[in-house]
Amino acid sequence: MNASQLALLVLLLPAAGAIVLAGRGWRLPRIVTQIVGPGVVWGSFVATLALFFGKASGDFTYWTWIQSGSFQVPFNILIDNLSIFMCLVITGVGGLIVTYSVGYMEHEDGPSYARFFTYMDVFIFSMLLLVLAGNFVWLIVGWALVGLSSYLLIGFWYQRRTAVAAARKAFVMNVIGDAGMILGGFVLFMTYHQTTYSGVFAGINHCRGALLCYAGGDSLQLELAGFLLLVGAVAKSAQIPLHTWLPDAMEGPTPVSALIHAATMVTAGVYLVGRMHPIYDLAPYAHGAVAIIGAVTALFAATIAIVQTDIKRVLAYSTMSQIGYMFLAVGIGAYSAGFFHLLAHAFFKALLFMAAGNVIHAMHDEQDMRKYGGLFRQLPRTGGAFLIGSLALVGVIPLVGFFSKEQILGAAFSKGDPLALGVWVIGAATALITGFYTGRMWWISFAGKPSSERPVEHPHEAPPVMLVPVLILAALSVVGGFIQTRALGIGPSVVSDFLASAVGPLRWEENAGAVVVGLITMVLSTLLFFAAYRFYVERTWKTWSANVPWAQRLLERKYYFDEIYDAAFVRPMDAIANWGARDIEGPVLDGAVVGTGNAAVAAARSLSLTQSGYFRNYVLVFVGGAVVAAVLLLLRTA
Amino acid sequence: MSDMTLGGSHLDASWFLILSAILFTIGAVGVLVRRNPLVILICIELMLNAVNLTLVTFSRQLGNLEGQLFTLMSITVAAAEAVVGLAILVDIFRVRDVEDIDELSEMKG
Repeated sequence: MNASQLALLVLLLPAAGAIVLAGRGWRLPRIVTQIVGPGVVWGSFVATLALFFGKASGDFTYWTWIQSGSFQVPFNILIDNLSIFMCLVITGVGGLIVTYSVGYMEHEDGPSYARFFTYMDVFIFSMLLLVLAGNFVWLIVGWALVGLSSYLLIGFWYQRRTAVAAARKAFVMNVIGDAGMILGGFVLFMTYHQTTYSGVFAGINHCRGALLCYAGGDSLQLELAGFLLLVGAVAKSAQIPLHTWLPDAMEGPTPVSALIHAATMVTAGVYLVGRMHPIYDLAPYAHGAVAIIGAVTALFAATIAIVQTDIKRVLAYSTMSQIGYMFLAVGIGAYSAGFFHLLAHAFFKALLFMAAGNVIHAMHDEQDMRKYGGLFRQLPRTGGAFLIGSLALVGVIPLVGFFSKEQILGAAFSKGDPLALGVWVIGAATALITGFYTGRMWWISFAGKPSSERPVEHPHEAPPVMLVPVLILAALSVVGGFIQTRALGIGPSVVSDFLASAVGPLRWEENAGAVVVGLITMVLSTLLFFAAYRFYVERTWKTWSANVPWAQRLLERKYYFDEIYDAAFVRPMDAIANWGARDIEGPVLDGAVVGTGNAAVAAARSLSLTQSGYFRNYVLVFVGGAVVAAVLLLLRTA
Repeated sequence: MSDMTLGGSHLDASWFLILSAILFTIGAVGVLVRRNPLVILICIELMLNAVNLTLVTFSRQLGNLEGQLFTLMSITVAAAEAVVGLAILVDIFRVRDVEDIDELSEMKG
């Protein structure tokens, strides 16, 4: 099988699985769903591995989808090291999570069970389409489809009002991003008259050459396209200011949170910036905006995570914060560092979500971690895996999070321009806060004495199907860092070398100071991880929030973003809609329709008066008419 | 040929037209004012025949036989009309005893 067929197989296997499950899945025995659902994802993973080991690359065009004059949209798949890397993350981590769902969703009835795996396979297909697409049209198709599957999965428990509201919110936010993406694609098409990546990037390089394509060059178009594509990336990756949907998206089942809202879909924005690096490299303002948005989101989300009490919401804000790091990295041009963190984050955040899922399962759907307490002794395996994930999130050496996060910070520290230094300061501060809120989450849930409000006195450890994927990811989080130890200045850098052909190597040297600063950051954040024990379990140190109640309130209200959006957009829209319903719909539209009907009825009623039923009346009219006609005739002849 | 002779006496065509007008008016007024359905039917016949008389008069005066042919048609139609009208009346009388046409005013809007 050659590379183009393999690439198509990677893409179409999950689609085939979804079709099978959607068509007949729920009527077949449950075991079919359990095999087909994860099976197709693993099949995709194997095909991706074949591409990986076959060192495949190329731009494969399968057919021309739209042909209208010079406007041409082919269906082409771009296989390069970046798309293979993304496919490995999506199908590998995705396979583990879908397998885990077999156990987690066990309590659903037949149709819902099959529906869940249908949606999951649709999502995997959409995400693969997004990363494999070789032109902007299919990129946007994949981009919109992941938004749709995210909507379907957040609202999976559609009987819950809150879940439906969260799904709708996520969809609306994502559509704002889709609009940005589409406009960005328009700008690029109008500038270069191409829809394929290769065509557009060739056009950009052509304009850089001796011949300028436009008077004054195409810098303005590139900046505009860069900002518009950034809108899409920001919405999909839940960065400020389009981030409010992600915490609410935790209404979905936990495997969904692990797969879509931690490991894959929300990192699509990072992929987009990496894929579009020829544009961002030439659009300094848009590129800087990426870094600034990333850094601000990282800090902002980390501070909110300090006060959250719902374990999944802590993880959601932590995800926003970590994706902020990735944006920061690709924003300053350290693309491969950003993608290494994407990989690391997929490992440890999927691990954290699935371990949290095990805890929630054991606690009978209780998500408030203040009601846990002392779980480590009763759930040692889940607790251990959660500890590994937490320490990876904090970035403790030698876990994968240390190498990826410190590489980003090191790159920012050593780049040398003021913007990079600024985002480095924010990133380092965020790393310290990360240590604190992660510690708080772990100690409150797993250490100390069991809470008196705990719903289950003696929780049971999860079944193997839910435990094995967690342990695999825990193992990956431990050893994964050793494939790239550049943060220490020595050792291999597998990911960066692999991605160098797609996104280019780092354009500046990391200096030795970065290593020292990185180690100091690591030590400080680890200390803060343990300091949280004193704050929240031993309570020997007075909780900081007692001293600054206003800050506590500000964070608990999430900086009032929801309230501001509510006041700025939702309520005015509601008011306009209400005004329209009251003053337009009723009097004008209904009035016209009902009025027409009423007028017809009134006319008929008055006409029907002439139909008296008396024979003599009719004759009189008839004769009268004849007389009038005769008189008129006579007058005319006269 | 504007003059006609009848039994040797000389008659102007206008006499026939005047008679026809009188007959038609009697018929029309009869339809309007009488209440007995049978009388109304007879009055309608009277109007028809007044018209027939006009047709024959003009046919004779203009020397055009089409008028007389038309009269024959008209008599045929009148016969058919009388049949239908009488049949309806007979049917109504079977159900109830109608003396006044105004009693049959149910079909109003």
